Amino acid sequence: MKKLFLISIISLCLCSCGDNKKVTDDSSIVEDSEKYKHLYGFWVGEFVAEVYKEGSTFTNNKLNIAIKSIIGKKVIAQSIVAGNKRPLTGEIDTTNNRLTFMLSEPGNDKYDGKFEFELIDNTLTGTWTAYNQSLTVTKRTFKLERKEFVYNANVMLPENQYLDQYSGQDSTITDTIDNETETYVEKYYRAASESVYKINSSTHKFTEEELKNLKKLDLEILRNTIFARHGYTFKKKAYRQFFDDVDWYVPVTDNVDTELTTIEKDNIKLLVRFEKYAADNYDTFGR
Amino acid sequence: MLKKFDYLSIAWLLFFSFFFLLMLQITLRYIPFSTEASFLQIKQTEVDSIRPYLSIFYVHVFSAICCLIAGFTQFSRFLLSNYKKLHKYMGYSYVLTVVLLAAPSGIYIGYYANGGWLAQISFMTLGLLWFLFTIRAMIAIKNRHIKLHRQFMLRSFALAFSAITLRLWKVILVYLFHPAPMDVYQIIAWLGWIPNLLVIEYLIRKNINSEETLSH
Repeated sequence: MKKLFLISIISLCLCSCGDNKKVTDDSSIVEDSEKYKHLYGFWVGEFVAEVYKEGSTFTNNKLNIAIKSIIGKKVIAQSIVAGNKRPLTGEIDTTNNRLTFMLSEPGNDKYDGKFEFELIDNTLTGTWTAYNQSLTVTKRTFKLERKEFVYNANVMLPENQYLDQYSGQDSTITDTIDNETETYVEKYYRAASESVYKINSSTHKFTEEELKNLKKLDLEILRNTIFARHGYTFKKKAYRQFFDDVDWYVPVTDNVDTELTTIEKDNIKLLVRFEKYAADNYDTFGR
Repeated sequence: MLKKFDYLSIAWLLFFSFFFLLMLQITLRYIPFSTEASFLQIKQTEVDSIRPYLSIFYVHVFSAICCLIAGFTQFSRFLLSNYKKLHKYMGYSYVLTVVLLAAPSGIYIGYYANGGWLAQISFMTLGLLWFLFTIRAMIAIKNRHIKLHRQFMLRSFALAFSAITLRLWKVILVYLFHPAPMDVYQIIAWLGWIPNLLVIEYLIRKNINSEETLSH
């Protein structure tokens, strides 16, 4: 009986040895997929319009390609740009010692297209081509660098003079120079105060008193800096213009509702109320 | 034929009616009653922490608009000579509204005014002067001193009229200079009523002088 038991154990061992071999075979595939693990993560850079309709207006937005996995040749990723987060699938090609990607968006969004890029000196360099050739911009280029994203409540907008470049309003100015009256048109842009880089809307709970002397643009920027810290991708170019150039800003998500802290939620509520008051009252007959 | 004087009063009536309607529109924003209506949107600190603030604020909003109605009736020489009773009753309600409601509530909310101490002092002084001028005008008429009554009522109404001039200055300053909201507020707090008083004082003096030259 004992002998029989021993034999069965040995045979079991043998069997499992065979199994082990299989496992190593599997792990070689796993190893294969691990091969490009160092490329997983966010790749961020400017999404530069290359082919566009003459005379059209467009913006060069911040593009983030998030590589989720590369198994065998199969790539799963996401493109996040201008408030649009799209799934990307496709393949890599490793011939000629080059690493090139051919990825496509599903095609059920107006702005979907095809990404082709290559890993050169730690940057992903390539182009995007729109499926819909009637768009304003049908081809864009990019050079993306690896970026980490961690929410940090303490990051601030850099010290700068922030102008709302989309708010340009003509104002006619009449001036007397050398006894001659001249009339010319000057563009007036909304300018933000220094409060937008001096006060932190994520770590400090605002009081009404602190917000009363701020203009609508200041309030908007303070509120959106909260979203920017959480990596929100802005749909409105009016908001993107302030954050796309900021080094710490990485667009990673199109919904931050569950990420907001209590201080941030309270501040957003207060800021929205003040923005509405400013919109209704700042330049009208009233208080 | 209309005399020059009548043209002036028609111009005043049109001008005043326009701004009275704007004021009425602003007032109606507070109906239905809400703790966050219009101006109160940026006054939640006071609404939440100072118990009487909200009700006194509402008293001011609705009593102040009533005071402005006096601008239609009380300075018309035509009504004054043909409808003496109307003048008297409108006068009574103006005095009661100002002295019991609008001026005291104005001083109270002036204490909590936006724009810091500079604006607070202005609004409280405005309220106090409005209160005093109105009382003074009432005492004058009780003593049948019509000229003095008229002068102090002109001063009183010049201050009531600051509700309009203050908001008008705001529109002008914002249009020209785009200042920060509380910077403009500190300026209009004073600009709203001091020029009014200066103008009315000038008119009163001019009137006295011309009457004196006439009697000589």
